[in-house]
Amino acid sequence: MAVPISQMWTVASYILKKRISGQKKYPLVLMLEPLFRCNLACAGCGKVQYPPHILKKQLSPEECFKAVEECGVPMVSLPGGEPLLHPQIVDIVNGLIERKKYIYLCTNALELKKRLHEFTPSKYLTFSVHLDGQREHHDMSICREGGYDIAVEGIKEAVKRGFRVTTNATFFDGTDPNSVRSFFDEVMSMGVEGIVLSPGYSYEKAPDQQHFLGRAKTRRLFRAILSNRKKSWKFNMSPLFLEFLMGKRNYECTAWGSPAYNIFGWQKPCYLLQDGYTETFQELLDTTNWDEYGTASGNPKCANCMVSCGYEPTAVNAGFGSLSGFFAMAKAAIFSSYKDKGALDLLNNHSTFAAQHDHFVKIDSIAPASSVGQLEETRA
Amino acid sequence: MSQPVHVENPVNVDELEVVDGRAYENLEGWIPALASEADIQNALEKAFDYRGDISLTFKSGETVEAYIFNRQTGKSLADSYIQYFASNAPEKRRATYADIARLEFTGKDRAAGKQWEAWIKKYTEKKAAGETNIALHPEALD
Repeated sequence: MAVPISQMWTVASYILKKRISGQKKYPLVLMLEPLFRCNLACAGCGKVQYPPHILKKQLSPEECFKAVEECGVPMVSLPGGEPLLHPQIVDIVNGLIERKKYIYLCTNALELKKRLHEFTPSKYLTFSVHLDGQREHHDMSICREGGYDIAVEGIKEAVKRGFRVTTNATFFDGTDPNSVRSFFDEVMSMGVEGIVLSPGYSYEKAPDQQHFLGRAKTRRLFRAILSNRKKSWKFNMSPLFLEFLMGKRNYECTAWGSPAYNIFGWQKPCYLLQDGYTETFQELLDTTNWDEYGTASGNPKCANCMVSCGYEPTAVNAGFGSLSGFFAMAKAAIFSSYKDKGALDLLNNHSTFAAQHDHFVKIDSIAPASSVGQLEETRA
Repeated sequence: MSQPVHVENPVNVDELEVVDGRAYENLEGWIPALASEADIQNALEKAFDYRGDISLTFKSGETVEAYIFNRQTGKSLADSYIQYFASNAPEKRRATYADIARLEFTGKDRAAGKQWEAWIKKYTEKKAAGETNIALHPEALD
């Protein structure tokens, strides 16, 4: 597990305090979107499709701090839009560090290398760089040739300067698991602290609605990717959430676990669905009909969601919320190779992961599946 | 309270291989008839989902170009409301459903044409023409 002990301790003690106080619904990570403006125009992104007068708006540092203090989370994710386009992003980050919040600044890293000198390395600050796969896959995913190389330059410079760095990938229908495993090798060789990953999800605000994985295919894909794991791979995520993606655990969504705040207010019910806004976090908790969301509700909007913002809080709560959960998490962290012959077979027959809609560009540099299998047998 | 969701789902979601998303609805230029309460509620629900500005005309005669980012339905039009950002003002504003006389989907739909296939088609064409550094760029804000 790549998450530092101090951060784990902060989260564990936070959960313990909430449980002792009898609080049932509490957030773990605030998804703080300081702006929607971006320097990319990724097809499929539902976060940046707004009129110009909305894209020009942004949260002030004071509004950011107020939201963080209002919900009381130990961790803050700064997605967007591209946060590095915010003219006061350094003030926002420094203010959150002063408040001892663990920050994940989510960036496409196009501006990272030239902006790094404005930031100071801290255990509280992680640059979470969006990389969706190997060079060709990532460039196609972000609709920009050369994007991968720029991001990798930024990652390497940030690592060199002593910053915490993770990569953050979203996988859609048509993802080749062998390519993803090669990608893991690539990013770990860059010196990053760990990898963050999530399946894509067809939330209704996304302009592309055809390339999302169903739950059965998601589990098969992540079983293929995450079984027979190499020791060199580190994941900056709950190991129980990874087991959930692999189909080894069943969890329900904890939609309030990663609340989202942006220029519109507190977003109902979660980071991806936009079913309205409230003025305060308490109002969000009190007025959202939580039973209407998650797979158990039968809400078709939630049918294929296995996204980290809803399910990782469940996994984290499970891991730190009971002794049995803690032992399961410790076991998952220690015995992390997940030997699985069936998963190797899936890699060798990776054509079963071909997209229902033929849209992915073929990558010629993918290692033959048979050699991947041999590598796993010897290096895992 | 938000719009009710469909609570019955006969499909076992755990067995789904891929998921069909929501069908795209081209609403740019639409002027909905607001003859009944149901018409108003339906039109404002679509306005809430729309990724462009709406021309709102109030019963007072005032008209604003606005992005509607929230709606809350109550027992009547008078206690249902929208929240919006007018294109020429910095602050959030609120109006009840009962105050609204006319809607027109005048702003460009910012989600239109942003599908994966559109990018692949563009990429293929540019590649065939010998272009390099192919990319989609964000639209200008001014």
